[in-house]
Amino acid sequence: MIETFVCEETVLKVQGLYVNRSNKPVLKDINLEIQCGEFVGLVGPNGSGKSTLLMAILGILHSQAGSIEIYSQPPSSNKTLGKVGWVSQAAASLPPHIRLTVRELVRLGTLNKKNLFWRKRVSEERVERAIEMVGLSHVADVDVTRLSGGQRQRAVIGRVLASEAEFILLDEPLVGIDRESRNSLLQLLDQLCHEQNKTIFMVSHDLAAIRQTTHRMIYLEESIQFDGPSDEFPDLTGLADLRGIKHVHGHDEFDHHNHHHHHHSHEKKEEE
Amino acid sequence: MGLGSQILEVIFPILESLEPLMPGEIFPYFFTLEMFQRALIAALLVTVVAGYLGNFLLIRNLALIGDGLAHVSFGGVAVGVVLGATGPLWYALLFSVIAAVLIHEMQTRELLTGDASIAIFLTGMLALGLVILRLWGEGITTDIEGYLYGNLLLIDNESFELIFLISIVSLIALALMHNGLLATTIDPLAARVQGLPVRSLGLLFSIITAAVVVSMVQVVGTLLVTALLVTPAATAQFLGKSFRSCVIWTQVFGLLSVLLGLYFSAELETGSGAMIALVAAIIFALVAISKTVLLAFIKPKANL
Repeated sequence: MIETFVCEETVLKVQGLYVNRSNKPVLKDINLEIQCGEFVGLVGPNGSGKSTLLMAILGILHSQAGSIEIYSQPPSSNKTLGKVGWVSQAAASLPPHIRLTVRELVRLGTLNKKNLFWRKRVSEERVERAIEMVGLSHVADVDVTRLSGGQRQRAVIGRVLASEAEFILLDEPLVGIDRESRNSLLQLLDQLCHEQNKTIFMVSHDLAAIRQTTHRMIYLEESIQFDGPSDEFPDLTGLADLRGIKHVHGHDEFDHHNHHHHHHSHEKKEEE
Repeated sequence: MGLGSQILEVIFPILESLEPLMPGEIFPYFFTLEMFQRALIAALLVTVVAGYLGNFLLIRNLALIGDGLAHVSFGGVAVGVVLGATGPLWYALLFSVIAAVLIHEMQTRELLTGDASIAIFLTGMLALGLVILRLWGEGITTDIEGYLYGNLLLIDNESFELIFLISIVSLIALALMHNGLLATTIDPLAARVQGLPVRSLGLLFSIITAAVVVSMVQVVGTLLVTALLVTPAATAQFLGKSFRSCVIWTQVFGLLSVLLGLYFSAELETGSGAMIALVAAIIFALVAISKTVLLAFIKPKANL
């Protein structure tokens, strides 16, 4: 039952993008194109501009120069509303004390400008389908705060599926999730790409996981340092060359603690 | 004659037919005397709306905004009374709405953290009210204390009309905004990407909160508004498994608090506002304790 229909539409086109935050350049000359059906991973150390790029794509941050087009429209244009979906990090975004079932959460995805005050009955079918797709039918009426981290993240993804967005952006969806659920979550995303023809752009620290699943990887550190097929993504030493670092600590993941640990500061000096 | 009074004309006979079922010596008057009947209906109305609103306040982490706006309303009442207004609630409404909009703007523009802006308005406007009453309040016959602790006898026809109007409009508005409020509260960024008007919804919600608080001032008093706004909704968190069921449980606890509160205050001749608040708090404690005890005995369900 795998539907494979080819689409060749350009989903995202970023040209010569410069973005400053509090008067400091965060993104420099970003050029990037994503085609329909691609599964792209965006990686880079903390503070490298990953979230800035996402916020610019969503039209929340304004650029100093350059252009962003989503389905040939400027970000947050009325014409592309509903085609773009945002999946936030469940671990950080769901209020801890709320009583809200999976179904209630997913249902929020069906809201838009037009049906904000009066939701049509028809969308219930979409809600059930989305819950099924993320594999949470058996817990559809369970309070999200009682679910595991992986299930909670699936519920948030279910919400975006109910919106029927075509271009899905995810921010660190693997944080706070154990290894096993992480793999099945990545499998789900892969499935969405292949079977539903969704275009996925995912930010993550988890280099290993991203390399394993995505088709294409982008390494960002102020500007794009690598953009190519995931299996060609440089290994640790290659990555060090890319970053201009001579000593990389034996981690396969980017160090979350770059900002907190002072003994890492020599890396930065060498970069400069 | 306003819509509120017309509705009352319909409800009065129903209340009178219920009177023989009511316990106590004084409590049955709530079903026979017009003044008490009006107070009873007003109390039930504001409880329903406040409970519904309270669920959203809780998830938006705004439990204390009601308290702040109630104090602002008291400042408005004081100004109204000194100016000789027959309906000081209208002044309260004006003050409360302005304060709510300003607090909302200060929060969204991140000029101040939520609590700080509420605290400043709360004390500033209460102080204004107290100073004005000291300076020009000589010879005023209105029951100012009634606005602090609640006094059902303050609810005349004119204020009933206002309470009725606020309650009905807020109830309809909240029901229509229900999904939008939930979406923008849980994940403002996702809501924005979906194209929902996050800021306008927040602003509208603030204005509704301000109006509902004003409608409650005569029933429970400015000092006790939070009792009906937050306590029933907080109690419901122990039993509800979904947002919807929490909203329903809130109504159960809210209405129970009001009816029991009115009963005990009538029979024991205490202030109605204080008794309602006390009953609401006791119900909260009972539910919290029994839930904790039950959980200790029943093995926690394995994680799904």
